Amino acid sequence: MHLCGGDTVEQAMRIPGMSVFAIDPCPCEMEVKFVPRVTIPDCRWLHEFDIIDGRQRCRFGADAEGTYYYTFDRHGMLRFREGEGVEICMNGNVEALRFALWVAYTMMGEKLGAVPVHSSVVVCAGRAIMCLGESGTGKSTHTRLWLENIADTHLLNDDSPIVSIIDGKVRVYGSPWSGKTDCYLQESHPVAGLLRIEQRKENTIRRLGVVESFAALQPSCPPSLAKDEHCMDLLVEFISHVIEHVPVYRLGCLPNADAARLSHKTLIG
Amino acid sequence: MKINDKMKIRTVAGENIVIMQDSAGSDMTRVVALNESALWLYNQLTGQEFEVDDVARMLTDEYEVNEADARKDAEAWVAEMKKNGLIL
Repeated sequence: MHLCGGDTVEQAMRIPGMSVFAIDPCPCEMEVKFVPRVTIPDCRWLHEFDIIDGRQRCRFGADAEGTYYYTFDRHGMLRFREGEGVEICMNGNVEALRFALWVAYTMMGEKLGAVPVHSSVVVCAGRAIMCLGESGTGKSTHTRLWLENIADTHLLNDDSPIVSIIDGKVRVYGSPWSGKTDCYLQESHPVAGLLRIEQRKENTIRRLGVVESFAALQPSCPPSLAKDEHCMDLLVEFISHVIEHVPVYRLGCLPNADAARLSHKTLIG
Repeated sequence: MKINDKMKIRTVAGENIVIMQDSAGSDMTRVVALNESALWLYNQLTGQEFEVDDVARMLTDEYEVNEADARKDAEAWVAEMKKNGLIL
């Protein structure tokens, strides 16, 4: 999926990390475009949430025809309809624009089997390990422990990489959305495993069954998708495919080197 | 009582699950898995009014269980389904 077209690209390229992902010439037709205004008709609001450390209030909704809408506080609006792509109207706030583009990617990507997954991802010997968990559970700490203690490792993304199913294979891609860590890499790797991180007084790791794997991965997928039945159908299909092909573990851990060694031994061997 | 028709059964990697709506936004999603007989009962009973006795009768008709065991299983199933909001 690509973001194309004069103004669209110019505005987007002002966002830190975005230019790494530029491809020239762009191989597709315009799918995301900036417009002077987005009109929202009678719409059922399905989800309200805060972004940017609680400083901006967003809403997600759908109308009866299956067109989706987002509002980004007072900074702008977005409209998505399958087959028609995304229209965005923004007032120039860079953080809101960065988030709006993430939303655009989320809405269009889901149809193509590409979903941003809230995680910190380390690559070891060409295979990716994705650490999942609520903010503050130690995802980034655990990937840092891999970088410090395990050979042949590098960070791929620290917040919102894209997981994509291509020809049945599960791969994770770097993205322009990497939270507070400037880590923008245009590369992708097969996923070796998912780790649901929990803070514990000792290091333990356990492979999860289907039901627990689902319960572990779903909260790390974009929350709005779970609020709409059609989006949720696609999301369930995506999660189902991922957990059939990639092992999911629960890692109870301390913030120490042994935790990284334990997950490395289990996932990479 | 009746089956809560707002809940949707989904197939995930071969398992039949219901995703609980109250769990969105929490760290772990709450998921209820239905085994084969639970799913069969659920599908048979969807759209009708029923009592525990009806469930017990269905179990004795479909499976090789005596009445006392069927009654016990039916009570347990109904209690579990009610607890998770799948039966109203």
